[in-house]
Amino acid sequence: MAEKHFIVIGNGPAGKEAAFTLRERDPESRITVISKGRASSYTPHLLPDLVAGKIQEEDLYGCSLNSYAENDIKLRCCQEVVDLNLLKNEVVLEHKEVLSFDGLIIAVGGTPRIPENLLAYKDLMYTLKTLEDAKIWVKKLQQSESVLIIGGDLTSLVLTKALIHLNKKVSFILNEDAFWPLRYDDDLFKEAAQRLTDKGIKVLYDRNIKKIEQLQDGTNKVQVDDQVLQVGMVGAFFGLVPDIGFLAHSGLRIDRGILVDKHLNVGVENIYAAGDCAQIYHPDIKDYWISIGYENARMLGRTAALNLNCGCREEEVKPESIFEVQGININTTWWTEF
Amino acid sequence: MSNVDLTVEICGMSGDGTIAAGGFLNAAVAKAGFSVMAFDSYPAEIRGFGRCVTRCRIGDEEMLALSDKTHVLISLDDEQSQSRLSGLAESATVIFDNKPPSMVPEGASLAAHVEAGTNLVGIPFRDLAAQAAGSTRGRNIVALGGFAALFEMPPEYFHEVITKKFQAKGASILEGNLRCFDAGYNYSKEKYADRIADTLSSENGNGNPDRILQSGNIAIGEGAIDAGVRLYFGYPITPATPIMEYLAKALPEKGGKLLQMEDEISSIGAVLGSFYAGTRAMTATSGPGFALMTELITHGVMAEIPAVIINTQRGGPATGLPTKTEQSDLQAAVWGGPGDSARIVLAAANVPECYTYTIKCFQLAEKYQTPVIVLTDFFLNNRVETMAPISISEEEKADWNIYPDKEDQNNFHRYRITESGISPRPKPGMEGYSYTATGLEHSEKGGPDYTPENHMAMNSKRHRKIEGALNDMPVPEEYFVEDNLDLGVISWGSTFGAALEAVQKARSNGIKVGALKIASIYPFHADLIRSFMEKCGNILIPELNYEGQLAGLIGHLYDKDVIKLNQTTGVPIYPVEIYQKINEIMSR
Amino acid sequence: MKSNDENDNSVVYSTEPEDFYYMDINVPCQAACPALTNIPAYIRALYEKQYGQSYEFNRMANILPGILGRICSRPCENKCRHGESELGQPVNICHIKRAAADLQDKVPLPIAEDLPTFGKKVAIIGSGPAGLAAAHDLATIGAHVTIYEAMDQPGGMLRYGIPEFRLPRQIIKAEIDRILKLGINLKTNIRVGTDVAIEALVDRHDAVLLAAGCYQSNTLHIPGEVLPGVYPGLEFMMDVCKDQPPELGSRVLVIGAGFTAFDCARSALRLGSQDVRICLRRTEEDLVVTKDEIFEAKAEGIRIESLLLSRRVIGQGKVEGMEFVRTHPGELQPDGKRRISAIEGSEFILPADTIIMATGQKPVPFDIAARKDDSGIPTADRKTYQTSMPGLYIAGDYLSGPSTVIEAIAMGRWAAEKIAEDIIGRRFRELAVRMEDTQITDRQRAWDFIPRQEMPTVKPIDTRLTGMDGEVETGYDSRMAEEEAKRCYLCNLHYEIDISRCIYCRYCIDVAPRDCIKLVEKVETNEVGAITNLVETKDWEAVNAVVIDNQRCIRCGECMRVCPVDCISVTRVELVEKMAQSETQNG
Repeated sequence: MAEKHFIVIGNGPAGKEAAFTLRERDPESRITVISKGRASSYTPHLLPDLVAGKIQEEDLYGCSLNSYAENDIKLRCCQEVVDLNLLKNEVVLEHKEVLSFDGLIIAVGGTPRIPENLLAYKDLMYTLKTLEDAKIWVKKLQQSESVLIIGGDLTSLVLTKALIHLNKKVSFILNEDAFWPLRYDDDLFKEAAQRLTDKGIKVLYDRNIKKIEQLQDGTNKVQVDDQVLQVGMVGAFFGLVPDIGFLAHSGLRIDRGILVDKHLNVGVENIYAAGDCAQIYHPDIKDYWISIGYENARMLGRTAALNLNCGCREEEVKPESIFEVQGININTTWWTEF
Repeated sequence: MSNVDLTVEICGMSGDGTIAAGGFLNAAVAKAGFSVMAFDSYPAEIRGFGRCVTRCRIGDEEMLALSDKTHVLISLDDEQSQSRLSGLAESATVIFDNKPPSMVPEGASLAAHVEAGTNLVGIPFRDLAAQAAGSTRGRNIVALGGFAALFEMPPEYFHEVITKKFQAKGASILEGNLRCFDAGYNYSKEKYADRIADTLSSENGNGNPDRILQSGNIAIGEGAIDAGVRLYFGYPITPATPIMEYLAKALPEKGGKLLQMEDEISSIGAVLGSFYAGTRAMTATSGPGFALMTELITHGVMAEIPAVIINTQRGGPATGLPTKTEQSDLQAAVWGGPGDSARIVLAAANVPECYTYTIKCFQLAEKYQTPVIVLTDFFLNNRVETMAPISISEEEKADWNIYPDKEDQNNFHRYRITESGISPRPKPGMEGYSYTATGLEHSEKGGPDYTPENHMAMNSKRHRKIEGALNDMPVPEEYFVEDNLDLGVISWGSTFGAALEAVQKARSNGIKVGALKIASIYPFHADLIRSFMEKCGNILIPELNYEGQLAGLIGHLYDKDVIKLNQTTGVPIYPVEIYQKINEIMSR
Repeated sequence: MKSNDENDNSVVYSTEPEDFYYMDINVPCQAACPALTNIPAYIRALYEKQYGQSYEFNRMANILPGILGRICSRPCENKCRHGESELGQPVNICHIKRAAADLQDKVPLPIAEDLPTFGKKVAIIGSGPAGLAAAHDLATIGAHVTIYEAMDQPGGMLRYGIPEFRLPRQIIKAEIDRILKLGINLKTNIRVGTDVAIEALVDRHDAVLLAAGCYQSNTLHIPGEVLPGVYPGLEFMMDVCKDQPPELGSRVLVIGAGFTAFDCARSALRLGSQDVRICLRRTEEDLVVTKDEIFEAKAEGIRIESLLLSRRVIGQGKVEGMEFVRTHPGELQPDGKRRISAIEGSEFILPADTIIMATGQKPVPFDIAARKDDSGIPTADRKTYQTSMPGLYIAGDYLSGPSTVIEAIAMGRWAAEKIAEDIIGRRFRELAVRMEDTQITDRQRAWDFIPRQEMPTVKPIDTRLTGMDGEVETGYDSRMAEEEAKRCYLCNLHYEIDISRCIYCRYCIDVAPRDCIKLVEKVETNEVGAITNLVETKDWEAVNAVVIDNQRCIRCGECMRVCPVDCISVTRVELVEKMAQSETQNG
């Protein structure tokens, strides 16, 4: 009988951890990791430090390509999954190669979200998700003294720390959408606004952006309701949209992410999701949640692999770790760490 | 060291336009001011289905050899390209069609086989071609467009070469191909913006676009034309046929004639006849054809009639490996044929020499009244490289025939025994100089004469003549010669470029090694070779033959055994292979 | 049965089951259209700039092209072959329809004087899509038709359920006027059942068709539903359409997932509400509303909240918010939707000033002596449309429950056919597969790569939110329409290799854009003789034919262009309505 074939889609923190965990538990199986990226997995949570000039690009890489080969993990770089066929247990790659699997872990990442009403200004707003993004920030910040952050997700807060470190003038338009799945009540806003203001940051609350235009000198004019702001750079931070468009016809349960149970199972035998794409109900916040942060992603990747490997392992996502992301507590006192 | 050294390989099935794409690539890169050396490999069958590979090494310095490692693989056929992946350099780029006509099972795509870390670039060649020109035929041009964008190569050079190629075929075909190129270019530029390297940007070109891109075949053909050849007799044979094809067009334009003979025997016969009549003529062949010629070559030796034969060597013996390269006809060229039939043998090492030696050998043939053989090989003939245009002086192509003096009239000794061995040779019809030209041993007047004294004297005369030719033949070229070299590498023909590059690399790593190029295969400059050998602690002779044919010819000049590196893989030897051998010798 | 066209020998009409089967599989858009609109034909006509012809191809099947071209639910586009995963995106079939309507020169249509009469009288209750379609068909065969409409204006849900920014009123008026010109008598402001008894209509007419739609909003039966500030969706929409919109608060929650929910939300935004959210029990993925609609709604600033279930309306004297619980989508049910269960303990409140319950509607009961279902709604046979009361028929949403405009039109037409059959005594029309030998088209392979032309909309967004009447989608100009029309593969062309002439050179396979031409060992057919499977082989000895798989074929024509022996033929195959053969021929 042919050996089992496990496929992991995504080579971020969750995908990588899942693949190595699978290998650790099952020396015999065939394991394929499919990654859109060319390079080895790097640690995206350090990107703001790269922007701040605190670290170099080399510091981002944690794992060499050799380690995949050493663990007999087939890493397919620069390749993308475009379809999933649940009836045949097959994934289809962009280049029309069809791979069948016995087990699947979906650990794709996300793309920075730009709300539909701001899409017209997409080219004037900068996001921070990839190494390429970080390099653009480094370059643009050389000519920009001030930055307006629209939205206000976790990345934007870490980035703000970096910007303050670089002595840039930062202003904020806090937008309710950015904090999904946390609902943004007045208390939370006041506290957030206060802490940002304490750092010398100008905060506007949930205003409508009417228009963004680039002026001759490269700065941006932002029309906010009846107010006009002039800033060097505009950053858009509305969280991430998981890259799960390829699952649209798969029949999996898709909301903002892939809906999974507490075992990270997607509702189909031997298929799990982990990392930035897995949406899970969390009783403590009475809401669905997509975990964020490097350590959480790794832990979810490991959990998914263990469950795929052993079938029914009770390995729930621990609440305390969900709320602890890179030293920032995400709860109503989230801002205390900032 | 050079800044740019990029080897691009295009691989497909015959019918994919692989070789044509290689032609565009070479021409465009040369126009951009880079140095190029490129070589195609055809399917083993002369026509039909099979793998086609074209390799192009691009640099900003003169290219000496091909590289063993491929930096960019453009796959026009995934199945065929799979075996090429093993030749990829680290972090290479692989460009492939990511939209094949149908779904394929795991493993059928090239993507399944590339190493992690490879820059895998998917471009829908077929779809973009269909979109741009309505048919998938232009997919090779799409691939080139994609390649150009990835390495920041300005598109106008490609536009220029595509226009040159297609403008005669009408506006719609030309525009379709230009659109195909742009489609690939724009797709790559947009989709792979984060993977673009400036390797082939205009800043990196060496700004010498005056150089021409030339193949060994065409260089030989042009050399013949420039030498005033107006007659060609031949019989088609791979890999010499392109010379004939070129001359079939070029000769009539010059008022010349090309005649395809019934075989190689009649070809060399006609060449001898032409020279006998005082007119330069030429033939080109390869091993099996050359073997047929040997009897008449010795006829030329015996009757002292000039002839020029280009032997483009291929894999042997017999029919052997028609589409593979080898240097195994050296002995046949030097010794092949009945009797003590010394003749002149030259070997060209690069494309410029294909041109200059072709011209040179007519003078040698005329002056020394002997067949002259120029050895080239499949690789040298079929590769293209950038070279500075060569202008030949009138002197270099002048008539070197030695006609009899007035006083010889009425008492003409066609084969007079002279100190140099050279006896004046009239054209037929020159009044008062009639003689018998024969393959029988003959007296000074030309009549049959088998007496012991005469045969010994005539053998001596003919060999003195050939020995004397050395004065007019290219001397061995020394590279990095100093006293007390640890190693000397002696090489000939197309292997020399690889040897020199290996020597350069070894020297940059501190190894005391020099190189010697031998172009005059027979007669050879024994004193000069010996003096080089004496400076070397060891002698290495790399050759693309099994027996070590040059080593056999000159090895006795060295007081130790020479070290041989013999390879008969059918493909050119790579610098790294010689370099490794150098290291191996040095670590003994 | 196959028969030749009387005037043209190259045309064959077939009613063989295998040919219907073929059409079902191979022209997927037409098969998906409830009204069987001949989509490839109208797209091709539009490409040829025959805008009037293109409109007519539509009107013959779906009666109201200008309206449907705006608000159709587009089941065809989901089946469009161009939308198969490796081929890109479906053709914008609906917007091409609109372009035909927008760009047509007014073509002369039949009016009452052109039509036969035969003295049969039919009454139709309701002037919505189903009623109008039935009236149209019955009038064209010469019946005397009277429509009874309860409202002030005809059109039913078209007029009172869809806001003007999606469907301009003059479009509705123009297309309804054209139907009425067939000699149909429209009586508005007459509510059958109140102003006139249904039995009285049955007595006075040869047939009565009840097509009164669904006008009673569903309630969720949750606490607080009657608080001021809670509106049933349909009533809200009708008030808006009557230009009598209610006062809305700043924060609006719309409960529901259909077109009505989106219409309500977008209307609320135009009425001045600041924060409008659509609350779904399921997810955005599960919405049947078109992607364009979702995108435009979000671009206008509407938020979509998913996976929540309304528990109760909160408020003291007026709405202050809604309590929800989170839902969990479970296994698939037979209707293709997932079972929704509430997650206990997940209660939370969204504050709101106004709540619109767009959770569907149902028919209003009629008190008549016909068989009814448990909730008092008269029922009819789904095939004959007959009720238990002789002469009374039911069609449209009143019979099926809430459906789409195109489904209602289709049902109106099929009901008209049954009614006609009953009152005339024979069938007057039938479906047939029309086949005509044709030439390769001028379609170019490059057209397959034209991107889907997105419908232009009013920008910037603010400018469209100032009132109810500005149509958001501005329509294709002729150039965009032509570009989009070029994208259609024209699946109504059937390519076939004549095996007796094929020399197995396989040139066609070399140029094939996908695996659409196959080396076949065996052709499998089903019980009606239609091809169901091509058994491929890689063993050259076993190849019995080179076959074009019309399900994979994208009609690029490349195979035909390279065929050295000219053995590939093209036939245009279309599902058409034609006058029924006489009884004897039918025999």
